[in-house]
Parts: sequence; structure tokens; C-alpha cells
Amino acid sequence: MKLFLSGNEAIAFGLIEAGVRFISAYPGTPSSEVLPTAVKIKQQFGIGGYFEWSVNEKAAFEEATAANFSGLSVAVVMKQVGLNVAMDPYMNTAIVGSIGGFVVVVADDPGPHSSQTEQDSRFLAQFAKIPVLEPSTPKEAYEFAKRAVDLSKKYSLPVMLRTTTRVSHSREDIAVGRIEDVKLKPEFKKNTDRFAATPHFRFLLHKELNNKIRAIKGKPGFRIFYNGNRLLITSGISFAYLCDIVEEFGLHDKVRILKIDMPFPIDELKLQEYVDRYNDVLVIEEGYPVIENQIIDRRRIKGRWNGFVPSEGELTIDVIKGLLRDFGVLEFKENTVAVKPPFKRPSLCPGCGHRSAFFAIREVFKNQAIYTGDIGCYTLGLNLKAVDTVHCMGASVSFAFGFDKAFSIAGDFKYIVATIGDSTFFHSGITPLIDAMHNKSRFILVILDNATTAMTGNQPTPANPFNAAFDGANPISIESTVRSLGVEFLRVRDAYDIEGLKTDLKEAKQYIETHSKPAVLIFRHPCVYTKEGLSLNPAFEDVYVDEAKCTGCKICINRFECPSLLFDEDTKKVTIDLSTCIKCGQCIYSCPYNAIKVKK
Amino acid sequence: MKLVILGVGGMGSISLSKTIASMAINRGLAVKSSEIHGMAKKGGLVEIQMKIDEGLSGVVLQGEADFSFVMNKDYTDYGQAFLKRDGRLIMADRDTVEGIVRDLGDVRFVGSFLLARFIGYQDVFREDDALNVLEKLKEGEKNIEAFKRGLI
Ligand code: SF4
Ligand code: SF4
Repeated sequence: MKLFLSGNEAIAFGLIEAGVRFISAYPGTPSSEVLPTAVKIKQQFGIGGYFEWSVNEKAAFEEATAANFSGLSVAVVMKQVGLNVAMDPYMNTAIVGSIGGFVVVVADDPGPHSSQTEQDSRFLAQFAKIPVLEPSTPKEAYEFAKRAVDLSKKYSLPVMLRTTTRVSHSREDIAVGRIEDVKLKPEFKKNTDRFAATPHFRFLLHKELNNKIRAIKGKPGFRIFYNGNRLLITSGISFAYLCDIVEEFGLHDKVRILKIDMPFPIDELKLQEYVDRYNDVLVIEEGYPVIENQIIDRRRIKGRWNGFVPSEGELTIDVIKGLLRDFGVLEFKENTVAVKPPFKRPSLCPGCGHRSAFFAIREVFKNQAIYTGDIGCYTLGLNLKAVDTVHCMGASVSFAFGFDKAFSIAGDFKYIVATIGDSTFFHSGITPLIDAMHNKSRFILVILDNATTAMTGNQPTPANPFNAAFDGANPISIESTVRSLGVEFLRVRDAYDIEGLKTDLKEAKQYIETHSKPAVLIFRHPCVYTKEGLSLNPAFEDVYVDEAKCTGCKICINRFECPSLLFDEDTKKVTIDLSTCIKCGQCIYSCPYNAIKVKK
Repeated sequence: MKLVILGVGGMGSISLSKTIASMAINRGLAVKSSEIHGMAKKGGLVEIQMKIDEGLSGVVLQGEADFSFVMNKDYTDYGQAFLKRDGRLIMADRDTVEGIVRDLGDVRFVGSFLLARFIGYQDVFREDDALNVLEKLKEGEKNIEAFKRGLI
């Protein structure tokens, strides 16, 4: 059966075909489609298995590890920064080793397109001493997923499958194999020397791990393409780009390509022997110099160590063409008139409840507060000047805590307003809130609850009464969680009630002036990006700008910044873009001249 | 053959690319695509590049494409930039789009209209290739209706 699959979908097919029956994940672009595909496969082929989102990557990793210790083949899926969250169990599982297959699927985001870092997870494979396979195309993603399971089973250690945005979000026609239901026989064979190893046994396990890596090294995954006398060493998506360039410019007799499927472990001696046969060698790999650093003698090599290859940003086809020109194998006229698409600043969707919340926050605190933000759609509170910091998952709360303490130890006081989404709150916001309660920190925490993980494609959160397969799940109440920590000041309100939000914010402000505890506000409004959210969203019959009243001051556009509010350069008035406006009427609060009107 | 499809979120650009991919697979041709979408969801650019029966990556560079489907007029210049010298821009004018929205109820069907135009400009795929795929879609009839409007 041939299907047109994305790299991420292909990975799900490969894993399940190879027998993986337990996958846990936390959504994060560009990794988010793997788990939903697994859920679909389960439904379509009627197989058993547990494929589900976890509260965060650390939990996901540990859950899968236990399932693996019961003998199941498992996988965990996350983006590169998610692996940072899972580092602790990740490093340990590498040492302890796996029982059935264990695949760590990590999607890196060179560019970056939608991440805080450009980090290369292959380094973390090397760090944990586990093998990493790196597909160049969706087809290889499918094949390597199966290979990763087999390799893991054979050597009893986790294997990383590293993909990047371009492989994850490319599609290809792929002939997938049969998926059959297998009878699972979980069994946990107790062995405290391994599963509860004391430091002494850890040393032995480490030795075992080193032996496994040495054994795998003996079978290098090198493949050779083309017949030229100048060597290009490459892996991943860069290989696909190089092949396209070779074909297009007819470089078949100019270059030889050494493709490395498994960038760690590499047999350094074999690689060095190969490299020594060439006078000119260029290493092109997306990410960090992982392969390059494993070449023993790099002095004649062109790569990142000598600045030949750029050390940041994506290695796009254009960048690679430039490298080949500098390397002396390609002549081409630069496309000097590269056209850029019209720039549109990313902004919250028209009618998004977060916008109303940020607007109210800004109205109440103006320039008086430090605004700590977090990861998700609501990062775009930046546009409403109600976000000053965005660091990593949950850091809005811990930053609020840290700022408060920094000022208070100097006898100073600063208003701090932290904003965090519901999914992020569950992921990493609860623990710093415990700290803040326990250590008497004062700030306002606004939980922007839109009942979904919106940014990554509307995956469920623990507060939803359903899971990834839309079966029933136990919803976790955010307010009860907050209350259970001893938070006294807690208000819950629909984010569309802007006047009400302002009242809550003002009261919270007074509260923190006189109490050494955080005040928590839950501003709730379902995400309007989903079909359901949109269909249930309150809408006026019409929302329009009264031309006679509009002064053209652009206050609504600047302060409320709904993308449906447009400035007409001819009339010098604001108009509403009817093709995107959802008639929520929230913008009326932003016009000081009451020029935006609604018809009920 | 190299194609580029430019649209905004929710306009059905991805469905159009999948339809073309199915047509290629049914003919036994290799097909690859590369999807790029920015951070903004609603209203943000969705860019899909496709290669049929060639290449290893799905990436298409400016000045290379045989066809550029532009589903939102803001991206006309950008779509034009992808075309090689004798490449062809495929767009729907305002009246067509409004007609499709009015009669069929959703702007998504514009993709099938553009597909018909594309069929008329090349000789790898024929009308039947498209119809065979369209009729299996969820709203097959409406897609076929939009497709018929685009035939030349
Ligand atoms: S996807 Fe949902 S939460 Fe995100 S900006 Fe759009 S409406 Fe707001
Ligand atoms: S009614 Fe106003 S705030 Fe709501 S979507 Fe339309 S322009 Fe934006």
C-alpha cells in the first residue's frame, strides 16, 4: 500500500510495524504529528497498544521506560528542547539499557523555525552513549524507525532517531508494510542490580554500555554515492539536498558523497582511512559538527571547525550551493532577486481570548510591571507589550518568583505579572508555584486557559475530559490544583469579560501589596482556532467601524492588534477584514472614541 | 515536474497537494513535497513545494518551478518568483473565488478549481486522473463541481 506520508507519519508507521506498542510524547513542533498518527494506526488496524500524550517529556520518558522494562517495545517522541526536560531519565535509561526495543524520537529544529534553540540532539546521543540514526527523507524515516527498533532489541539499549523540521514536514510516497496485532506478554523480571542499581553497579552498567557501543561501532553505516575525486561527508536532509544539486548540475564525476546513516557511534579509524584517500574533503551536516568532531585529523578538512561551514542557521539548498561553489565544484549565478513573501508579523488569531486577557493586563499595569511570559500561542502577548521574558516551559512562574526575590532582598517591590497557558502550567508551571507558595513570593499568575495545547496543533491537555484518541479521560481541575497549594486569592473568569478581568487584576494587585503569597487568576476562553471552539464562540451579527467616529489614530491596531483590524491608507480610517474577522466584538473595548460598533 | 502551492492557513493548500500526490501515486510516479508554515496560524502563509518524478528532497527553489498555484493574491509576486522562464502561474480571480464560496459554501473548493486549470496546461495528468481522486474525497461532489468550473 503506497501512502503519501510526512516524515513524522512515516516514523509512526515504521515504529508500529516493527512492534512498538507503547508510545508516550509531549507535543512540540516539529515532532507533534508522530503520536496522533500512531493513534490513527491503532484505530485503523485494530491493534492493541498505548499511544498517549504525557504531562511532560520527563514523565513520558519514565512511563515508557517502565513499559519497556516489562518487555514491551516502546518509543518516546519529543522535540529537541523536550529532550532537555527528559534528560534525567534519558541518561539513566541509557546506562541501565533496554529490554525490548526502545526508540527515542527527537525532532530538531535548525533555523530555528519554532523553537528557543537550534541544538543538535545527536550530541546528546553521543553524550548518553546511545546510537543515533538520521534519516534524509520520509522514506528513510520509515525505514530507520524500523531499523532503530531492531538495533535497540539486538543490543539492549535505547536508540535515538533524529529528524529535523525539513524531514518531519516533507512528504513522500511510501510503500508501507503490514501491521498485525501481536499478543503482548508483559513481564517484569526483578533485578535490583540493574533496576535499582547502587553506584557500584552503575559502574558495571556503564562498562556494559561502553561494550555495546564498541560492538555497534564495528558495523559502520557508511554509504558511497557518485564517482568524483572530491569528498563530501554528509548525513540527514543535507544528503537529499546534495543529491538534488548533483543531479541538477551534473556533478556526478566531480564529487563523491559519503553518507552516514548513523552519526554516532562512528568507527573513527575507518572514517579516517577513508578521509585520507582524498585531498579535498568537506563535511556538510545539519546541526552541530557531530560527524566532523569524530574525524581524528581534521586539519585538511573543511567544515565548521575552520569556519568554512556556517555554525548557526539552517543549511538550506541555497547555503549548500554556496558551500559547493566555495569548495570549487560548482559554478552558478546567484539568484540575486530572491523574492521574500510579504512579511506578516505572527499574531494571535482574530478573536483569541488571550488577546483580551493581555489587553486587560496591559490596561491595568501599563509600564509598571515586569511581565514574565511562557511558551505557547500566548508568547505573542509580546505584540501587546504584556510579555517581557520567554525562556522555557514554566519559566513564567519561576521567573516571577526570581524577580520578586531579587527586588525584595533589596527592600524593593515590583509588580510582576506572569502569564502561562493551561498545558504549560501542567507541564512545568505547578512546581515553581509550589516554590512560590512555600517561599512566600508575591506576584500575579494569570493562567490563560483555552482548554487545549493550541500552538502545536490543538492536542488535549490534562484538563480535558478526553485523550489523544478522544476517549474519556479524567479531567484535572486547574482551580483545585491551585487551591490545594494553599493559594488564597483565586479568581476564574471568561477572558471575553474584559471589564471583569480588569476588576480581578486590580484586586489581585491590592492583594499582593499586602500579602506575601502569589495571587492566581484563571482567564478562560476556548481556543477559536478549532472548528468546535469557533462554532461555539459568541458572535455578533456584525462588527463595524463607524467612519464618522474613527479618527484614524490606530490605537485599536497598536494596542489590541487583532489582525482583522486594517488601516485603510486612502480613507485614513480603520476597517475590518471580513474574511478573517469572527465577529467576537472584543475590539470595541480598545477604541477610546467608541468608533467600533456591534450589531446584535 | 516542480510545483509550488501558496495559500494561507485553512484554504486547503495541503489538501490540494495531497490530491496531486494521489494522482501521481496512481500513475506510479514518485512524489515528494516539503511543507513550510510559519508561526501564525490563521492567515499565515502555507507554502508547499512538490517534485513529481524527480529529485530526492521535496524542495523547489525560486526560478525552478513549472507551476505556481497561488491561492491568495498577496502572494502573487512570491509565486511568480518560483517560476522558471516558461513556468505558469495558476490563480483564481476574485469573481471565481466568490462564486465558489457562494455556491459551494467554502473557500477550500478553490483548490479543485485550480487543479482543473493545471490539468489543462500539462500532459502528465489527464482529467480522469483528477476525477478519480476527487470523487473519493469527503465532499467529492462539491470538489468535482469546483473542478468542472476550472476546466478549459
Ligand atoms: S490557536 Fe487558539 S490559542 Fe492560539 S492564537 Fe489562535 S485562537 Fe489563540
Ligand atoms: S470582532 Fe474585532 S476583535 Fe473580533 S475578530 Fe473581528 S476585528 Fe478582531
